[in-house]
Amino acid sequence: MKKFNLILLSVGAIFALTGCNDGPTGEKITYSKTVKEVYAQSCKKCHGADASGNTKKKAPALNDRQAGELELDLYDVKNGGTNQSSGTEHDIMEHNMKKLIEKGFDYDPKAMAQYIEKSFFKMPSKEVAETPAKTEAPATQEDNTTK
Amino acid sequence: MNEKQMKEGIELIDAHFKGEGISRRDAMKLFGTSGAAALLATGATTTPIQASDAKGKIVIVGGGLAGMSTAARLTNSLDNPDITVIEPGDISTSYQPGQTLVGGGIWEKSALVYNTDDFVPSGVTIIKEKAVEFDPEKNTVTTASGKKVGYDYLIVAAGLKLDFGKIEGLGITETITSTGDHRAVSKIVGKKGITSIYFQEGSKDTWTQMQKFIAEAKSGKKVKGLFTHPNTPIKCGGAPKKIMYLTDARLREAGARDNAELTFYPNGSKMFGVSEYHNAIQRQFETRDIKWNYRHNLVAVDTEKKVATFNKHWKQKGAWDEDLEEYGVELKNEKVEVPFDFLHITPPMKAAEEIGSSPIGSSKGWVPVNKETLQHVKYPNVFALGDIAAVPMGKTGGSARKQYKVVVDNVIAMMEGKSELPSKYAGYTVCPLITSIGTVMLAEFNWTKKPTPSFPLDPTQERWIWWLLKVYALKPMTQYGMLSGRA
Repeated sequence: MKKFNLILLSVGAIFALTGCNDGPTGEKITYSKTVKEVYAQSCKKCHGADASGNTKKKAPALNDRQAGELELDLYDVKNGGTNQSSGTEHDIMEHNMKKLIEKGFDYDPKAMAQYIEKSFFKMPSKEVAETPAKTEAPATQEDNTTK
Repeated sequence: MNEKQMKEGIELIDAHFKGEGISRRDAMKLFGTSGAAALLATGATTTPIQASDAKGKIVIVGGGLAGMSTAARLTNSLDNPDITVIEPGDISTSYQPGQTLVGGGIWEKSALVYNTDDFVPSGVTIIKEKAVEFDPEKNTVTTASGKKVGYDYLIVAAGLKLDFGKIEGLGITETITSTGDHRAVSKIVGKKGITSIYFQEGSKDTWTQMQKFIAEAKSGKKVKGLFTHPNTPIKCGGAPKKIMYLTDARLREAGARDNAELTFYPNGSKMFGVSEYHNAIQRQFETRDIKWNYRHNLVAVDTEKKVATFNKHWKQKGAWDEDLEEYGVELKNEKVEVPFDFLHITPPMKAAEEIGSSPIGSSKGWVPVNKETLQHVKYPNVFALGDIAAVPMGKTGGSARKQYKVVVDNVIAMMEGKSELPSKYAGYTVCPLITSIGTVMLAEFNWTKKPTPSFPLDPTQERWIWWLLKVYALKPMTQYGMLSGRA
């Protein structure tokens, strides 16, 4: 059983110590439009000029969440769900998003979420208390390189 | 294990150490030979922790794997730690990844049970109560007995609740956690062929029911096994499949596989978000003659007639959408009834109500955080990790193992008055997908949706060495590595 123990010990050791590399953190993708352009030319049509949504088009408001929360939804829309086999609650938008990407309206979810927060976010009137205004100017966002 | 498998293991290890520039013999000497536990506990090659003299009162809600590991690492990292953990459960720290192995009859339930008290780092105050109210404006948490606990930094690691109540016909109204008092659910789930490994008691009952199912198949009866996956985010996304693979393996072992039909019923339309793993899993299903029906969400169970009702849903071409300049889609659905002899339920899951609907919660219940820094989107001195954090794909022990170090680094940086949070989580998750007794596919991935293997091996292959990792090495790794805050 010596060999067995050796293998076991080594596998555990490699995994625990050198293992779990963080891997690539994302390929650099360049988008053909800035998030501002994507919003103005596409999102706006259904989600509104102020991102307050449009019930007739079943387009939810986007101005009621901060960037961190919104990013998760945008991420889910673009990935068709984020859990192995749970599916997505954005079935319709997943379809629409695919079509929109074909038409060149692709974007980085993080940059888009930050843009929407910065431009449209409305603090729910009840809690006007101090909140971290941690929106950075999207000038540094990688997707702003219009090419 | 056979010679071939052994050889594969040895070759892999040699190749790895050769890459590191040392021989296997030297490596073994280096690690010492006193067993995996000691080796992993040394943390010899993990980043040395610089003790910080920063001060601040830290409150951690939840004493599971994520919460206790965070408490341990903070204790190691601070000269003057002031840490309080609020946790009502006596066995909350238990080893949940082993529940699959108990369900498949490989481990005993007793192997999973850890007493929370044994893992409270020295110096850490534990309040054995439930946190029921959160006031992030005033920096206080209130416990069930009305005790107000103030904090400078709050770390939420309260896990999630199993919501069997969403499934009609089971007669269950309470939500439960993976460990603790399970009577409300185990009176129904764990009997009459209805099972779930998602809670400790249920994992033991799953093995009892599985043996009955196999005995029926062996007696010549044609039997049906159904395995569900709900429409909510779930912890350990691979477990619904693992328990099915183990059922398949046990049936083959008994020579009764031909009499059983096994079908996977997930709400989604994929096996896995990473296409390489998705394809590998579909191949594994085909090889084993396991069937699947996508877009079926379990909504009701008739426990007497043994019939499961699914909401089958699909998309169909809708009206022309002028804004989209394309045809839109319409969502359709219908109810489908499927009889069963054995049903494994992966229940809908959600954050605890008192947290989800509190100011630190969100419309979806999970605690919304920046997915990289794990800092709350609204309250900068609040962090969340583990199952309760609204982080894509992140509900596994493997993600918690990455996340707790990120949270500790970032909290300490804030305590030291730094303006930048230094540490970022990249979405790493690992799913040791048990595919039979003796093989595991080690699916490692992150938000790039690409495999991110730790080893220079094809990650889509099922291997015996990963079985060893899953069955023998991961438990000591959490016990001595994570829960001591080291690795």
